[in-house]
Amino acid sequence: MKKGLSILLLVFVLILAACSKDSGGSDKEQGEKPVEKSDSKTLVVGFGTDVTSFDIHNHNTTSTEAVHVNMFNYLVKNGGKEGFLPDLAESWENVDDTTWSFKLKEGVKFHNGEDLTADDVKFTLERVANDETLLEYGSYKQIKEVKVKSDYEFDIITHAPEPALLNRLSRIGSGILPKDYIESEGWDTFVNKPVGTGPYKFKDWKKDDRLTLEANNDYFGEAPKWEEVVFRSIPEDSTRVSELLTGGIDIAVNIPPTDVERIDATEGVTVKNSPTQRVMMLVLRTAEGNVTADPLVREAIDLAIDKQAIVDSLLGGAGEVTRTRVTPGNVGANESLFGTSLYDPEKAKELLAQAGYADGLTLTLSAPNGRYLKDKETAELMVAMLAEVGITVKLELLEWSAFNQKYTERTFNDMFFIGYGNSMFDASLALDRLQFERAKGETDYNNPETEKLLITAETNMNLDERVEQYKKAQEFIAEDRPQIYLYQLQAITGVNDRVDFEPRLDEMFYVDTITLK
Amino acid sequence: MKYFLLNVLKTIPVLLLITLIVFVLVRVTGDPVSMMLPETATDEERESLKEALGFNEPLPVQYMKYLGDLVKGDFGESFRYDMDALDLVLERLPATFQLAIASMIVAIIISVPLGILSAVKRNSFMDLFITGGAVLGKAMPSFWLGIMLILMFAVNLQLFPVSGKGGLMHLILPAITLGTGIAAEMTRLIRSSMLEILGQDFIRTARSKGLRESIVVNKHAFRNALIPVVTIMALQTSTLIGGTLITETVFAWPGLGQLLVQAVNLRDMSVVQAATLLIAVFVILSNLIADLIYRLLDPRIKYD
Repeated sequence: MKKGLSILLLVFVLILAACSKDSGGSDKEQGEKPVEKSDSKTLVVGFGTDVTSFDIHNHNTTSTEAVHVNMFNYLVKNGGKEGFLPDLAESWENVDDTTWSFKLKEGVKFHNGEDLTADDVKFTLERVANDETLLEYGSYKQIKEVKVKSDYEFDIITHAPEPALLNRLSRIGSGILPKDYIESEGWDTFVNKPVGTGPYKFKDWKKDDRLTLEANNDYFGEAPKWEEVVFRSIPEDSTRVSELLTGGIDIAVNIPPTDVERIDATEGVTVKNSPTQRVMMLVLRTAEGNVTADPLVREAIDLAIDKQAIVDSLLGGAGEVTRTRVTPGNVGANESLFGTSLYDPEKAKELLAQAGYADGLTLTLSAPNGRYLKDKETAELMVAMLAEVGITVKLELLEWSAFNQKYTERTFNDMFFIGYGNSMFDASLALDRLQFERAKGETDYNNPETEKLLITAETNMNLDERVEQYKKAQEFIAEDRPQIYLYQLQAITGVNDRVDFEPRLDEMFYVDTITLK
Repeated sequence: MKYFLLNVLKTIPVLLLITLIVFVLVRVTGDPVSMMLPETATDEERESLKEALGFNEPLPVQYMKYLGDLVKGDFGESFRYDMDALDLVLERLPATFQLAIASMIVAIIISVPLGILSAVKRNSFMDLFITGGAVLGKAMPSFWLGIMLILMFAVNLQLFPVSGKGGLMHLILPAITLGTGIAAEMTRLIRSSMLEILGQDFIRTARSKGLRESIVVNKHAFRNALIPVVTIMALQTSTLIGGTLITETVFAWPGLGQLLVQAVNLRDMSVVQAATLLIAVFVILSNLIADLIYRLLDPRIKYD
């Protein structure tokens, strides 16, 4: 008993000691620095998730790439309307259908002092084009090989004509890696101490807490504007908003619409809505045996849904209605179908009567719960809107993994609700799911005219012709409605007024475009 | 000692069962490959990744492979971080321990005085107030309490940082969030344990020989009342770990809890398996330690 008590006593003494130190320390800290603040040399960005990995070929997370773009450089940058801009490549040329010839900038150095050469490009691109265990393999397997011609010149050979090659080379997985460093130190070292060519270099990474980058003063481009950049991972939305309000972070991504008012009411912080590549849509089965096989029914569904009302009431205005998935900023976008939507419940009723469903009809809608912004609420609101015109919807709400299972097995019934992104910024990725072979079991969409356009455009090396083909295809699709497009999601970002920040369509955070006011 | 060795041996089948349950659960709740690829991935891309990662093999074969690796100390690789899963889990332990110990301290600071007070002043207004408070403390969901504390003390009063891991100041709000529920439980326990002791003969004897009430309560009663409390403290490990899942997420605290939540969301199976196995080991260990402390504190208990 005595021994036991003495142990207990000791424990308590230790605890007390710890406590007194606790309060003493906090008193002092309170006086000097109550809360962490970013200073004029340091930018702090708050994300919802941590960087997934520094293996740039083995992730497909936009928010991770948003950080990587500061550490690595692509061969070319996708400048949207300005076309493709030189980054590591000084110039390039499409020699024939399957050969692209590039010339690298000279004098570019990696963070460890190594020179960038064509061998690094070969090493980087051939790895992701050949290793099928990598998550980005699917977007690079079109590359057959990289032929090194000299230290600064090389050719990229594709298996088939690849009009979207430059799009592929300016996104996730496109950063050029240091061959010698990785070959001598190994991947395990690289993912813990990554080395790139970018304006900022790796300093420290506390996983699920913060990643710190520091300025690379030997950067080949314009000198970096910040001494240090901190990317914090704050999974809870309301905590991220609180950090923004107290000045703990300069920029907070993914602000929930419910918090927008709170931020607007606070001085010194602003909310910005900006378009993203994600378009929310209903995907309908057009195969015989489903009520949605009848085009009149599909049109009635489209006309019955008030898309603008969904955007206004559920998303707090953070969306833009659309009738196409290829939104402005993408190669092949049909802008006449963007920013517009159809809503006419009276006509929807007429169409249903015409289709023989004057007494109403019943169909199933499957929707994910918790995957997209307000997905469950949107699905429920659509069910109510469809009920107004006499369509009874059996709503199947599924947790994402269960939804995903049905999605990959293609076992949905009449229609499902989903949102597609497009990191390629090209119509091909947005529309290839509607090609007959790939649509089997999903939409079963089969319009020979659309099919012909999609197939030719996919390998058409004449850009203008290709754009026209995609534009035409989108018109057919908008009429046929194998997918009914609802709205393009907007990102809601909270920004401290001390910095100037314009969110980008690709959701990248090029730190040097963010400046102090 | 023999008793403890026997108990340690007994944990092996328990751990084996845990590996099996977790292994199956992670796999039946959704195809990991389709969770790893975006919506736009084609069927061929899914198939080739599945094949490459070995998910096409039958589950029993995969499980036996996993066990085989486990015996060799190989917990597998995290998809998310491209790192050894066990290293990743071990890396997070200190942060979680720090939070857990701090919460335990908060719980003790709150519960010991309140528990004694409410037992001594039994049925008074004070007692009602404390027991009522304990019920409230237990009933408050920790995510709600955490967000409220942030709004009040970090945003409005700006006394503490909002989130993240840093100095002692960063520790206080999460420790209170996690410690409150435990404090509530311990207060009630100390109260009932004290009440039981205060009614016993040796207390009456102590009082009758004219000892001051404070000595009776603090020296004679409280020490004896501590025996069940200390055991409960050790048994609270599982509650603590469950609590860290939520508290760490709310406060962006980079510990084991957040790692596990993120790993489940992303179907990072090796990490989920390594983390749950390690947590299981901790819970089992802390139960054994509770046993040991109990015996140390109360020599009347004998194990054969």
